[in-house]
Amino acid sequence: MTMLDNTPQISQEAVDLWGGRLTMRVNVAGAGAPLLYLHPAGGLAWDPFLSQLATRYTVYAPELPGTSAGDPYAIHAVDELSDLVLVYEELVRRLGLERPVLVGQSFGGMLAAELAALYPGITEKLVLLDPLGLWREDAPIANPIAAAPHELPGMLFHDPAGAAARAFLEPPADPEVAAAATAAMVWALGCAGKFLWPVFDRGLRNRGHRITAATLIVWGEQDTLIPAAYAAEFQALIPDSQVVLVPECGHIPQVEQLEHTSAAVAEFLSARGAT
Amino acid sequence: MKITLFEQAPYRYLPADFEQHHRSACDTPYFSLVSREGVYSSMRDCMDELMFAARCGFDGIGITEHGQSSYDMMPNPDLFASALAYSTESEGLDVAIIPMGRSLGKSREPLRVAEEYAMIDVLSGGRLVAGFPVGLAYDANVNNGVPPIQTRPRFDENLELVLRAWRDPEPFTWNGKYSQYPQVNIWPRPLQQPGPRPWITGVGNPRTMQLTLERDYGFNYVSWFGAKLTGKRIFDRFWEIADQVGVPRNPYRMGFVQTIAVAETDERAEQDYAAHLEYAFRKGIGSIPREGMMLPGGIDIRGVQALLKDPGDFGLYERMRTATFRELVDAGVVIVGSPSTVREQIGEFCTEYGIGNLHCMLGFGSLLRDLAMKNIQLFAEEVAPYLRRLWDGSGHEHHWWPERLGGVPRRTTDDPYRPAREEANVR
Repeated sequence: MTMLDNTPQISQEAVDLWGGRLTMRVNVAGAGAPLLYLHPAGGLAWDPFLSQLATRYTVYAPELPGTSAGDPYAIHAVDELSDLVLVYEELVRRLGLERPVLVGQSFGGMLAAELAALYPGITEKLVLLDPLGLWREDAPIANPIAAAPHELPGMLFHDPAGAAARAFLEPPADPEVAAAATAAMVWALGCAGKFLWPVFDRGLRNRGHRITAATLIVWGEQDTLIPAAYAAEFQALIPDSQVVLVPECGHIPQVEQLEHTSAAVAEFLSARGAT
Repeated sequence: MKITLFEQAPYRYLPADFEQHHRSACDTPYFSLVSREGVYSSMRDCMDELMFAARCGFDGIGITEHGQSSYDMMPNPDLFASALAYSTESEGLDVAIIPMGRSLGKSREPLRVAEEYAMIDVLSGGRLVAGFPVGLAYDANVNNGVPPIQTRPRFDENLELVLRAWRDPEPFTWNGKYSQYPQVNIWPRPLQQPGPRPWITGVGNPRTMQLTLERDYGFNYVSWFGAKLTGKRIFDRFWEIADQVGVPRNPYRMGFVQTIAVAETDERAEQDYAAHLEYAFRKGIGSIPREGMMLPGGIDIRGVQALLKDPGDFGLYERMRTATFRELVDAGVVIVGSPSTVREQIGEFCTEYGIGNLHCMLGFGSLLRDLAMKNIQLFAEEVAPYLRRLWDGSGHEHHWWPERLGGVPRRTTDDPYRPAREEANVR
């Protein structure tokens, strides 16, 4: 809990876009140059990794349409992945962000890569944490959306019994709150599934070469959801990219190995002359 | 009351310890479990049993769609239905052909569904009863790759296309979200015009119920989860929604699928059928994991909240994989006994809940041909005659049954079908 004590003041902005058909909720915290964080399929959870980034950057963390509390049907305003990328590009402009650092985890990593591929000028620094987006016949990706609930901890964590995993997986004590959180997470997976299903390959391999940003690819060495073999796959695809493998770590390095991951990300951002 | 035989086509020769070695009945390995003779007889016997029921005087014979599963080898029920349509026609059997049917949340080729049903209606001389289930998660989303959040809106759009394809007099262009056709002008059209009245299959979702009532479709409830546990909830909900919508409580708009086993005495029935019923439910619905029934996005967020709060619509489902014969009976998953036991229980149930179409599942699980035939014959001779007149004199007419078979279809062409696409999977 000590880490949570460093949680910064988080404000929420509602941004109208998509021709008036969408209002996106963006969580904003910190000070400094802009950094856009795209969350994984399970929805946005503000975690110590984001808090640490907020000490050096103004972190903008938008919520995928459909995953904002009280607005679940916003998802119906976006049909295709290509439209979703346009929505996020519009968001960057509406927020007035100038070349924000772009960080994405898992599904959010895929979105960040798509955004950087379709709009190569949108960012100069891209950080991908165990991203989705590619598919190898010899290393199929597990399907967390179709998994039984008891299978998820083992898919997400190298050590599901470890402190970080337990804190992440622990349901809220109040059963009503827990049920609402479960329903929200299930719906969030369904919303992300709209842009992932049925096989998590939406053609990034055809577009990834367009990414011009300096790119850091971070991967948990023991990721069983998306095997670490994909790190080299992304590196081969993205011209100016480097890989950091995080030992003793599953699919969520910024949660399971926070210090290692934060240090690697900070080094990458500063070495490239972070503004 | 209309009384039909409903069957699935399970592989009938799975090993007794199947559940110990296999996670699920919808990702079952094929070659290690199946013999050439076993699959042939499973399929052939199912077809023979359906034909036997037609000869025994059942009002209809039905099957439904389940792909890639060992408990129902029916990737396209229209293949079975078309064979049954011709065979019954050539024998002069006036029996409804009921694919219950083609899943429209699953289908990526909805126009083909319209064409197949039109063919079956023509082949059968106008005896098609056309069912449209939304589709189970494992089938629509896993077997056919439809994103779960699209299952319901795809169903809505596809149904609209099928109904128009059956009846629109001029060729038209279809610009749907999920399919586009420069020309829709199918040949043949159904003999029943403006098209057979649709039947929608549901397990309790109030939105599905409301849709069927508002649009004057039939509603089939499939009671796999135990009608003694779920029946009152489901049927009361349906008729309350009927009152809200403002349509009469006409029992003929309600169909009910129930597994039934009849023998000479109650004791004999248990001896004959208990093991086969346990096989059917442990290796069937009990072996469909929860994530095979529903996937994130497939159920609206409010529906998920309602299910977490009260999973009662799912009855015995969570325990089905190890359910004993006694538990299946007590929950009403199955109705088993002598003819008098069975007709009394079913008669009471159908009367109480306003059921005008009873779809009897008389072949199930590992039940072999001879016993299935005995079950069908005993039901036809000793049970059905006592139930058939249940709603005579009620003043209701059957508007959801083919005219050739005594139905009184409403020849409406002003179908109120206008799906609100953006809210299409709001529960």
